[in-house]
Amino acid sequence: MRRGGDLAFYLWTAVGLILFPFIFRLPIFNGYSGLGTQILIVGIGAIGFNLLLGYAGQLSYGHAAFFGLGAYGAGLSVLKLFPQAHSFGLAVLFGVGVAVVAAFIIGSLVVRLYGIYFALVTVAFAQMVYFIIFQWRSLTNGDDGLQSIGTPPLNFGFAHVDLTQTLPALALGPFGDLGEIKLWYIFAAVTAFLVLAFVRTLVRSQFGEVLDAIRENEERSIFVGFDPRRYKLAAFVISGALCGLSGTLRALYDGSTAIDMLTVEQSGAFVIYTVVGGVGTLFGPLVGTGVIMWLENIVSAKTGAWRLIEGLIFVAVIVFLPNGIIGSFLKKAKFDLFATFRGKK
Amino acid sequence: MSEMILQTKGLGKRFGHFAANAEIDFAVHAGELRAVIGPNGAGKTTFFNLLSGITLPSDGTIIYKGGDISTAGGPARVRLGIAKAFQTANIYSDQTVGQNVRLAALARVQGSFALQVFRRSGRLGKVDEIAERALDRVELGELVHTRAGDLSHGDKKRLDIAIALATEPQILLLDEPVAGMSIDESRRTEQLIKKLAAEMTVLIIEHDMEMIMGISDSITVLHQGRVLANGTPAEIRASKTVQDAYLGGHSESEIA
Repeated sequence: MRRGGDLAFYLWTAVGLILFPFIFRLPIFNGYSGLGTQILIVGIGAIGFNLLLGYAGQLSYGHAAFFGLGAYGAGLSVLKLFPQAHSFGLAVLFGVGVAVVAAFIIGSLVVRLYGIYFALVTVAFAQMVYFIIFQWRSLTNGDDGLQSIGTPPLNFGFAHVDLTQTLPALALGPFGDLGEIKLWYIFAAVTAFLVLAFVRTLVRSQFGEVLDAIRENEERSIFVGFDPRRYKLAAFVISGALCGLSGTLRALYDGSTAIDMLTVEQSGAFVIYTVVGGVGTLFGPLVGTGVIMWLENIVSAKTGAWRLIEGLIFVAVIVFLPNGIIGSFLKKAKFDLFATFRGKK
Repeated sequence: MSEMILQTKGLGKRFGHFAANAEIDFAVHAGELRAVIGPNGAGKTTFFNLLSGITLPSDGTIIYKGGDISTAGGPARVRLGIAKAFQTANIYSDQTVGQNVRLAALARVQGSFALQVFRRSGRLGKVDEIAERALDRVELGELVHTRAGDLSHGDKKRLDIAIALATEPQILLLDEPVAGMSIDESRRTEQLIKKLAAEMTVLIIEHDMEMIMGISDSITVLHQGRVLANGTPAEIRASKTVQDAYLGGHSESEIA
């Protein structure tokens, strides 16, 4: 309602995204250049996942399907479908398009389910997608993944921008060097900014208001005249689209795809990122993605027991910070994770 | 008398081998205040669930204003003008009283689905207008900013009615509106029902016989899922069949 609140949001989000790669380079954080970009790209997927869990109240355990389909869609667009065009824009369009179509089909079949049944059926669909991509070697290279996709230049019409270029060298003391930052970071930051602004607008919109009502009391919502299945399907598709965008950018950033992007572990990662950061909060999923990916980077360099430690962190957050990092700051228990398992309200 | 607004023909609902409702022929005139009574397990709530679309019938048809709505879902029926207040107050406990009725008004104004992801509902002035009117009618206007879950039992039930009113119904189904209320609260609710009955068709399930006999235009008695009798309060009170089956052979004054 308050315009001032909007301005503060845009300003602080922009400042945060601009400072993030430099703070991140401080010796105590020990991040490598590029990790910041990866965090933002994967974080977009977590934001999408949270739209479904935090706002529609449905726990999907199959969002890797949309992440992976986005990645393979983008890769195939560059390598097989439009090799002549070598277009960044087409790859994004095609990757997200594939994810949206899949989300629409899977979503249509699962919106009538609740709680644990919803989670189980989404896993089942994600596993189907995994096996199709894995087995269709002629198209997808099976467990080798798609290689040499590269990063096509970003075409603005008047200029072609190569995102793998770096900013001009400029020493910044403890904050590293400006020259270590690729244009990719700027692109990812702008995209993350737009995604955050979009999701923020959405959850405050008329659509978000009804989604909130349906999550709180579905039966009453039906009997005031709303159609919950259409709302949940729309949320599912938007959520899948954001995961698709995340996978698409990940493939173009890495220049390759891996079959791992479609696994249950990847689906679980979105759950972990979101729960650690704060379910039903705007910045939670991004913060959770950042914390976990950063820790993974530090810890896995020293020990092979990262998964064990990750599990312990997850349990610790649920026990000590049940609303996640951001949720605990906000001190506003907006959402009870386990309520989704109690099924239909 | 005026036209039939709602009719059922041979309406039935089976759960496995159990017939909760069977062969119900029912008709209500526009503007009527009709009570549906019967002992526990008579199938009253099942009948209301069939009318409001919570469950779909196994047999028979439901006709609303001449159209067959037997297979229409809940949202469609609300949009046609059939609203329901629940036996246990069915409200958005975590939202304010005002937001509860606003949501119902929003559904009336926007329809069952709208992909309005950029626009806020605050821009729809008509929503606030409808919501405010609904709250004023149940006299909860002063509690507009209170969290709905913090209301008293009676106020929760009246808020549930206000939510139904904010959908701008032509038929209002009230499932035991005064159950569990204090004497004072039920008297207020009774007054409210009388007022509403002047503006719309009201169907009411209630165990409070004194109230039912006092406010109803006519009464339908259900027994073991079937219609046992139809008539004015005086006719029902005098009916030997009703007394035998429902009132257990005792006169009404004895059970009251």
